[in-house]
Amino acid sequence: MNIKQKSQTLALLVLSAVSSSAWAVEEGDAAPVFDLPSIYADQPAISTASLEGKTIFVDFWASWCAPCLTSLPLYNDMYHKYKDQGLEIVAINVDNPIEDGLDFLLDTPLDFLIPADPDGEAAELFEVIGMPTSYLIEPDGSVKLVHMGFRSGDIEIIEEAIQDSLGGN
Amino acid sequence: MRQLRSTLLLTICCLLLVSCADVRAWERGYLAREEMAWDPDALESSLNDHIFFSKEASSGGNSAAGGGCGCN
Repeated sequence: MNIKQKSQTLALLVLSAVSSSAWAVEEGDAAPVFDLPSIYADQPAISTASLEGKTIFVDFWASWCAPCLTSLPLYNDMYHKYKDQGLEIVAINVDNPIEDGLDFLLDTPLDFLIPADPDGEAAELFEVIGMPTSYLIEPDGSVKLVHMGFRSGDIEIIEEAIQDSLGGN
Repeated sequence: MRQLRSTLLLTICCLLLVSCADVRAWERGYLAREEMAWDPDALESSLNDHIFFSKEASSGGNSAAGGGCGCN
């Protein structure tokens, strides 16, 4: 093996090490199935099976993620606006320990489903590559929208996709 | 000899790659913790700098002025 071949092999190794994000869930893919406990000890577990046939907006958030905290109250408003039309919002908290997430929820009560995923099991299934990342899942289980980050104007993009999905029901 | 050196360099590079930890997006909270900061307590750090430059009669390295008298 000459130097050029060795360099190419090394480059391939580096590429394969950094390209894990290539398997992240993308638009059009089937949404991964998860079953997680609620962040609230007195509430039942949350699974995709129990939400079958609904438009589900899944959002991964954490208390240390500033844009996540900006987005959640806006999602709460959106939930109240569209829940009667069949929208379900599942905001998966990845804080470890979960008390960090609960501290935020004490000040900002949210009315949608909040599962706890301190070990990142669901985040691993979705191959989340940035925080926050949200997924709009159609009633047939396919991913309609993958949205990473949260900047001003993003809520309009998400709401438009939700309206589109609910309109097709 | 040159080939041996290159092979050794490539091997070292590969070994260094093994030590790279992949911090996933949802694990970045660990990096945000206070104990992960370079300078977790700014006040204590500044006090330590002051004691250091006073005792060692050295200054400048920590952007503090003084001649080592410990009076500033």
